[in-house]
Amino acid sequence: MEKKLLRLTVNGQEYEIYINPKTLLVEVIRDYLGFTGTKRGCDTVSCGACTVIINGMSVKSCSVLAMQAEGAKITTVEGLEDKGKLHPIQKAFLDHGAYQCGFCAPGMLMSAKALLDENPNPTTWEIREGIEGNICRCTGYNSIVRAVEAVAKGNYREEHHE
Amino acid sequence: MNKYAVINTHVHNVDGIAKVTGRATYTFDVKLPGMLYGKILRSPHPHAKILNIDASRALKLPGVIGVVTGKDTLGVKQGIWRRYKDLCDEQILPVDKVRYIGEPVAAVAAVTEEIAEQALDLIDVEYEVLPAVFEPLDAIKKDAPEIHEGFERNINVTRHIEWGDVETAFEEADYIREDWFKCGGQAHMCMETRAAVSSYTPEGKLTVYSSTQSPYYMQGLLAGVLGLKEGNIRVISHYVGGGFGGKFELDGAIFCSAVLSMKLFRPVKIVYTREEDFIATKRRTPMYYYVRTGVKKDGTFCAREAKVFTNGGAYTGMGATALYLTGFFHSFPYRWRGYRYDGYRVYTNTLPSTSMRGFGAPQAMFCSEQQIEWIAADLGLDPIEMRRKNGHYPGYEVPGQATIASCGLDQCFDEIQKWIKGKGKLPEGRAIGISACGFMSGGIFNWFDTPYSFSSAVVTINQDGTVELYVGAQEIGQGSNTTMAIICAETLGVKVEDIKVHSGDTDHCPADLGAWGSRQTLMAGNAVKMAAEDAKKQLLEFAQAKMGINIVYDLDIKNRWVHIVARPERGMDYFELVKEALRGKDGQRIVGRGYYTPHRKGMISPAYSYMLQGVEVEIDRETGKIKLIDSLTAHDCGQPINHLGLIGQLEGAFSMAAGYGYLEYMPYEDGKLMNPNLVDYKVIRATEMPEAAVAEIDTYEPEGPYGAKEAGEGLTNPTAAAIGNAIFHALGLQMKECPIRPEMILKALKEKEEKEKEGK
Amino acid sequence: MIHDFTYLKPDSVKEALTMLSEHKDECKVICGGQSLLIVMRQGLLVTDYLIDIKRLKELDYITFDKKAGLKIGATTTHRAIEKSDVVAKHYPVLVAMEGKLASIQVRNWGTFGGNLAHADPAGDPAPVLIALKANIKMGGMNGERVMPLEDFFVDYFETALNKDELVLEVQVPVPEPKTGAAYQKFNLLESDMGVVAVAASVTLNGNGKCKDARIVLGNAGSTPKRVKRAEELLIGKKYDEALFAEAGKIASEDSEPVADIHASEEHRRHLLGVLTKRMLKKAWEKARG
Repeated sequence: MEKKLLRLTVNGQEYEIYINPKTLLVEVIRDYLGFTGTKRGCDTVSCGACTVIINGMSVKSCSVLAMQAEGAKITTVEGLEDKGKLHPIQKAFLDHGAYQCGFCAPGMLMSAKALLDENPNPTTWEIREGIEGNICRCTGYNSIVRAVEAVAKGNYREEHHE
Repeated sequence: MNKYAVINTHVHNVDGIAKVTGRATYTFDVKLPGMLYGKILRSPHPHAKILNIDASRALKLPGVIGVVTGKDTLGVKQGIWRRYKDLCDEQILPVDKVRYIGEPVAAVAAVTEEIAEQALDLIDVEYEVLPAVFEPLDAIKKDAPEIHEGFERNINVTRHIEWGDVETAFEEADYIREDWFKCGGQAHMCMETRAAVSSYTPEGKLTVYSSTQSPYYMQGLLAGVLGLKEGNIRVISHYVGGGFGGKFELDGAIFCSAVLSMKLFRPVKIVYTREEDFIATKRRTPMYYYVRTGVKKDGTFCAREAKVFTNGGAYTGMGATALYLTGFFHSFPYRWRGYRYDGYRVYTNTLPSTSMRGFGAPQAMFCSEQQIEWIAADLGLDPIEMRRKNGHYPGYEVPGQATIASCGLDQCFDEIQKWIKGKGKLPEGRAIGISACGFMSGGIFNWFDTPYSFSSAVVTINQDGTVELYVGAQEIGQGSNTTMAIICAETLGVKVEDIKVHSGDTDHCPADLGAWGSRQTLMAGNAVKMAAEDAKKQLLEFAQAKMGINIVYDLDIKNRWVHIVARPERGMDYFELVKEALRGKDGQRIVGRGYYTPHRKGMISPAYSYMLQGVEVEIDRETGKIKLIDSLTAHDCGQPINHLGLIGQLEGAFSMAAGYGYLEYMPYEDGKLMNPNLVDYKVIRATEMPEAAVAEIDTYEPEGPYGAKEAGEGLTNPTAAAIGNAIFHALGLQMKECPIRPEMILKALKEKEEKEKEGK
Repeated sequence: MIHDFTYLKPDSVKEALTMLSEHKDECKVICGGQSLLIVMRQGLLVTDYLIDIKRLKELDYITFDKKAGLKIGATTTHRAIEKSDVVAKHYPVLVAMEGKLASIQVRNWGTFGGNLAHADPAGDPAPVLIALKANIKMGGMNGERVMPLEDFFVDYFETALNKDELVLEVQVPVPEPKTGAAYQKFNLLESDMGVVAVAASVTLNGNGKCKDARIVLGNAGSTPKRVKRAEELLIGKKYDEALFAEAGKIASEDSEPVADIHASEEHRRHLLGVLTKRMLKKAWEKARG
């Protein structure tokens, strides 16, 4: 099968790879580029563990043909921190215990970030809707909602991230 | 006023940064040089003889390196109840016959996952299909097909619990009620599916990365099935994406990857798809419950008799424990003059059932707490006061079974009463349901037949004061590493950030039974406390010498300050002391050892948690749709250790328990699971989850470290019953099957209305 | 595992149509892929050529005109519709429906045209659009054609599209004054596809009587279905809850729901009746203003 060229930017870095066009974006991120923070938890676009941000939008990367990310700017969980300086949403997750086994956390963080980027002042219900596409089996979601609320309230305002 | 420096304070999880930055490496992420990818061929039949397996076509596919079947194994029948050979009934890769749809039959290793999957279609298996049976009440019939040789009527395990004179106790009752219930199964549905990477090398050593709740159990079981010494097997499990009771037995991923690797001398990785995880990893035990209860007209409990048939599925797994615990906790948290439980675990040709968070207690409470609510209504009694007058209390002895030390049940009743009163009159369509329960803090029975202490810990203090804590307790998301670090820090008198927790590696950590049965806070916590006390004692020897204080004074360490207890302003810096101690010991680090095994603690557990939960539910009586509005759980877990962890455990347990109550339907048809995916199997999401507040009840459990008991599994027990009770109060329906689904509610409403029309 | 295919990426609609007519039976079109990739991963769909139209900006638009109404290009994402001010102003029921469709992630990448072309009988947009009297425009090498959306769905996952055609645009006429529309699906989890669903639209005349009504059932048969018998019942009538219940009963009877593990046929019929009654009430109240 003829490999196709794919050029994309992940966490601020440009990459150029040759892939079988049937490769999914999550496979490019995890297996080709080595960003194993993003996980997979299902085969039916249900669980959200593979959520990344493409051009500012949260998307389930298991359900995107990698070729469709040509020229796109992608952010994964690894792109949240800045050389060891945690993003406000990461700090909030730590402070509120908004994760337990941690497997859903990368996807959850990206959904939370995308939500806040689009709507910096969400209501509690909007936060729940914002992470509705992400399943967590451990926390029962409420600690995650509290973490996002804390960021929205401005508790981590002294940090500046895009 | 918190008397502790570290315990019950707001502490980040020690592995938090790794998890929120994507650095945490789960078995799902492990990649080793030269690694192959494995896939498992599974039986399409619920019951069949394996006549022949021909893998020649698969072996010819370029990229396929090897295929294994039962014939490539020692054929050992293994089981987690090691002590009872007759309950060790599962080969995992069976040699002679398959007993459930999805059972592994062969495994392939190839250079890519895709090739391995293609190879599955090229393995030809010849089966002789046998008649199958799917329901326990059918499987015990005389003419039912025999699933395991020598198990008459397919009865796998029986359990009997009895105390008092049951017949007399029933005679004393003014009112007797009997009901039949059906409790469904449930999938653990861990976010990380079953995964393992096994690597066998020419030195004769096997390394297994596995997503497991107990590396020690994996090590022990693998030694048994592979004919290796435990010491030549290393199990590594640094980060686990959820367990919930489904990951402390040997599973197909671990076993098949190990067998493949031993044959091919290459690392082999097997990761289950979500579908495989649904159809081929053991589930919560479905149960049929018959409950007969007798009470006095003032609500005093007299007698209870329960008969339970559980759907054991094709193999025993942890089903024997679930069978006992369901019968035991079915009596909780009340005093019965006469109590009798008979449990029968029945083999069927379906997915084996095993432990799942709550371990038989959610089922037990669904039946008990609902029937109790109906009895209260039948007699016109207040449901909380009726429960209260029969509740356990500190010092109560469950005859022949357990002595209750700490018990905050009574205070739990107060809290929920307050909450309900505060709600006032509820809007139309809403009602509150309650459920009480209790749970164990780890089990006493050594069915694994381990010669090791149940938990052990080693504390080593480095020259700079940092502390290495080695535990066998396994972190699976419940916060075990953090809880152990907190206990160690509190005991040693330092801060959590001074502690580095080593866990999840059998090469470097002591044996520990692992994360199940809510045992780690109490058992491993005790071991850690003992080890830290040992280390501290050695340290303080040097402090005594250095500070030259009068022998009548005691020294202690708190917040890195070594001080005289009576005069805390007099002391020295912990870090300074450590340096001196090292010099004094010929340059050897201080090492403290600790261990814990429960002794003389009854039949089940060294300590019990208690709770009462209230759930506010809204029901649409035209569609039957259930909506969770709010909840409060009054909870006695002794001394909370990890504050954030406790809240997380409560809310998480609630979400799973609520799922059991009204969402997670798991229907089988002729042995086939009808919804092995996350579209059709409904897991609660953020938009359905209500507030799940906790009211902590302060008690002190003498057996637990700093008075702590379990908090994490018990909380899964009450919710299904509470939802059922809310439906009872909203619509007058008695729902005897869980999960409770909208169609069932409408059907029950219709039947009720028809009965009322007929004038009853 | 997805089977290998040759990947084609047209730069324009014209190029896409050329590719389609060249490869006809051997090709499949992918846009957002939120439904397609699942079936491809399960090996249920195998294709030699995959034509990727996700980046066709030509088809990514939402326009509104007081005469022509709403026009949505096929590659417009659900999320764009959900967030569109113009859609919110004139067709709030579409925004409400989109807000409960799958998850935000799926809406960010999945497209309107893709959803309709996939023709899942439980799909959310179709019943709502049919209640709004939408048309669908499709095109091939030989030109374009427009048909009422209610005629577009032929069977389970099958539409009136020819092998060489693409969905191009959805057209929703300007609603008449005093029109209200409502949509509800029944599910256990908020954004699941409906076990069943009902979309209703009611137009009132100056006297507050019903001038026009549409009742469209979702997941109650192989395609979304109007319940014309129930619609006729309402014409010329005043607000009457008993009438809505009666309409619901007809919807129950005239539907063809299929049982599965989530609900029996009887329960689905019952739910359709309840939802029809409720949506008529809601639509009517919205029409009143």
